[in-house]
Amino acid sequence: MIWFSALVLIPLAAVVVTAIDGGWDVFWATITNGQTAAAIRLTVFTAAGVTAVNVVMGPLIAWVLVRDRFWGKSVLEVLIDIPFALPTIVAGLVLLSLYGTGSPIGIDIANQRPAVFLAFLFVTLPFVVRMVQPVLEELDRDVEEAAASLGASRFTTFRRIILPSLTPAITAGAALSFARGVSEYGSLVLLSGNLPFKTEVTSVRILSSIENDNVAAAAAVATVLLAISLAVIVVLDLIQRRVAARG
Amino acid sequence: MSIEVSGLNKKFGDFVALDDVNVTIPTGQLTALLGPSGGGKSTLLRIIAGLEKADTGSVSIEGVEATHLPAQKRNVGFVFQHYAVFKHMTVAKNVAFGLEIRKRPKDEIEHRVQELLKLVHLSQFAHRLPSQLSGGQRQRMALARALAVEPSVLLLDEPFGALDAKVRKELRDWLRRLHDDVHVTTVFVTHDQEEAMEVADEIVVINEGRVEQVGSPDQLYDEPANDFVMSFLGEVTHLGGISLRPHDIELEASPQLAGSVEGTVSRMVRIGFEVRLTVLTVDGDEVSVVVTRAHARSHGLQEGSTVWLTPAAGATVVPRMAAAV
Amino acid sequence: MADTLIAPVADEAPPVEERRRSPRVRKTPVTYLLRFIVTAYLFFLVAWPVSLVVTNTFDNGWESIRSLLEDPDMVVALQLSAYVAVWSVLINTVFGVGMSLLLVRYEFPGKRALNALLDLPLSVSPIVVGLALVLVYGGRNGWFGPTLAGWGIDVIFSTPGIIMATTFVALPLMIRELVPVLEEIGIEQEQAAESLGANGLQRFWRITLPSIKWGITYGVVLTLARSLGEFGAVKVVSGNVLGQTRTATLAVEEKYLNFDQQGAYATAFLLAMVSVACIVIVGIIRPKNHN
Repeated sequence: MIWFSALVLIPLAAVVVTAIDGGWDVFWATITNGQTAAAIRLTVFTAAGVTAVNVVMGPLIAWVLVRDRFWGKSVLEVLIDIPFALPTIVAGLVLLSLYGTGSPIGIDIANQRPAVFLAFLFVTLPFVVRMVQPVLEELDRDVEEAAASLGASRFTTFRRIILPSLTPAITAGAALSFARGVSEYGSLVLLSGNLPFKTEVTSVRILSSIENDNVAAAAAVATVLLAISLAVIVVLDLIQRRVAARG
Repeated sequence: MSIEVSGLNKKFGDFVALDDVNVTIPTGQLTALLGPSGGGKSTLLRIIAGLEKADTGSVSIEGVEATHLPAQKRNVGFVFQHYAVFKHMTVAKNVAFGLEIRKRPKDEIEHRVQELLKLVHLSQFAHRLPSQLSGGQRQRMALARALAVEPSVLLLDEPFGALDAKVRKELRDWLRRLHDDVHVTTVFVTHDQEEAMEVADEIVVINEGRVEQVGSPDQLYDEPANDFVMSFLGEVTHLGGISLRPHDIELEASPQLAGSVEGTVSRMVRIGFEVRLTVLTVDGDEVSVVVTRAHARSHGLQEGSTVWLTPAAGATVVPRMAAAV
Repeated sequence: MADTLIAPVADEAPPVEERRRSPRVRKTPVTYLLRFIVTAYLFFLVAWPVSLVVTNTFDNGWESIRSLLEDPDMVVALQLSAYVAVWSVLINTVFGVGMSLLLVRYEFPGKRALNALLDLPLSVSPIVVGLALVLVYGGRNGWFGPTLAGWGIDVIFSTPGIIMATTFVALPLMIRELVPVLEEIGIEQEQAAESLGANGLQRFWRITLPSIKWGITYGVVLTLARSLGEFGAVKVVSGNVLGQTRTATLAVEEKYLNFDQQGAYATAFLLAMVSVACIVIVGIIRPKNHN
């Protein structure tokens, strides 16, 4: 407990304390400052957009991995985990090699907004897939057969039986993917160019405040990110309890 | 005839699940598919429901050729051993599911659901989630759900298999009474011969993918077609070259009847009013015999006593199969 | 009752699951469409970009790797990364086991909050992590920093800070592996051991530890991968002093920005190899152990 407090809780508390040290007005002024607000907006909207893509692609990938059988499937399994294990800075470099200057397919989005989107998409790939996959595996085939014997078509069975069973897992995955997107830093360093008002995300903004020795401003913005992380954790906890109640 | 199955074959890999099965199941009756685990009875039921495809053979339901119909078009009700409840729906929603699929008017659905919940004694649980019900209640809900669509046949796959002994017995009686009210053609799979004998009008005994015998519970018990059916439906022992029930053996303290076999009582256990004996005959057989307590007393039986055994007059006997020893 | 009852018959039944199911893969056009979409998506998002790093690294054969390993600063950076990762794994293993036992075996007020907060390091931005540590342990004006500096312990801009940052971000991985395992094994085995006279330490060494050893193994592998790869938090707390507090991930950025693309790709390749190896190892052991 003490260890956890010293390492995690006290430092995070320090961030919040420093942020509100100067009073509410200063805090508000800091985070609504033009460049900062632009960074927060870009981060949140891009993370939301990426999460939307993951909500569609994640269950789809999980479905193929669980229900389909074909040669090379285990390779796909490994591919899913790569973004999770790969150092973020390397992830940025990896994406740059295909979608940056000198791209072999002629797509150069380096230092542009789509680059931010792409980086988020890469690092958040595993979350929804890995949340949905075990639930889909455990899903009782009997239930689908019961629906079929009651006259439901395969599509109806998917929409009314399978999808609702997956909803908690999809939501949990989406929450994690959003949180990860919002807090992403490493993969953007090389890819997005960190241009103010254009491709600068919140984490980068905090870092430049730190480097300019403006710790109070850094802490204020960091508090916003912390609040988002906490919100996600609360959402996850609520989902877990709901699933437990459903049994 | 409600369900006609002919020439059905089914293999899983090189395991033969069904081997040329032909069965006719009569309308309006409660039929049990009885047999040991792995004997193919569930596979047969699932093929009738359209949840599994036979390799060869045909199935017709109520005179309609159904071999190639998908499950959703067969209008059968299916009840699973582990209930297969829709966890995210309330009890009422579960029961309404099939009717909603069929796009019935809302008030009709509501009315029908209420009626069914009353029938299965779950009215007060209509708005609960299945996770808040006991196993027995879940299975009754599953039954109501299957009945809601007014199926032409109701199929139950080991419906009480996951329940504990007491609930199992209650539900069994309840199913019998329910069937007497509803009269839908019902087929249920079980490996419990007592359950089949108690509930079913007719029993189909299935073993190793083949139908061994079809008949009423009495017929099967009194006139078993072979050693397997006989041993599956009750206790069996072997005396000389025949198989018979342990209570169908006459036991005397002296050789009075022709053809009696001499033996020694090697073990004696009293259970309530009956006494179970193990007798070692001079032929080297180990025979189980059940006598009443009064009978045992009057002969002064104890371990080590010498006795003479004879098949009782009118006993059910079948020639002994070498393999069944 | 040697040859009576139904039991013998039931025993003779083939030990086959009655409800064998044909692997229900109905191949419809939709199946192939979905398979195609998923494969293409993963190919463009992951497989191709990653493979390009490999080919870029080996443009000149082994040359770039060799020159990398001959650069003394780079060797120091790699050693530092490894050193930090080992410490992070050690700390997280010891405390991870302790925390998991605490969470599974004991009831205490605030348990649910603690349980939820444990996920925080996974969802907090690494930059925020770095900032938080600087605020508390910073040598000049952190909460504890000056005191520690008075004792001669520098945390920020030196190795302990890097270890702390890395430990922080990798903290939940071990616990998340162990908690489900501990919940599944329950306490009956330990109670049995207790009834046989084993004391607390013996029970832990001889019963608990062997049954969670696979959980620990996965935890170690995942923690290792995460620790080697941490970048943002380390960047804030390290000061990035060449040959002293520059880790391998920091080197990737620096080399790339200094137009040493070969060096950047080579370093990235080394790091990627380790992380891919980690996933493959976990992927191989896990399914076997599940049965």
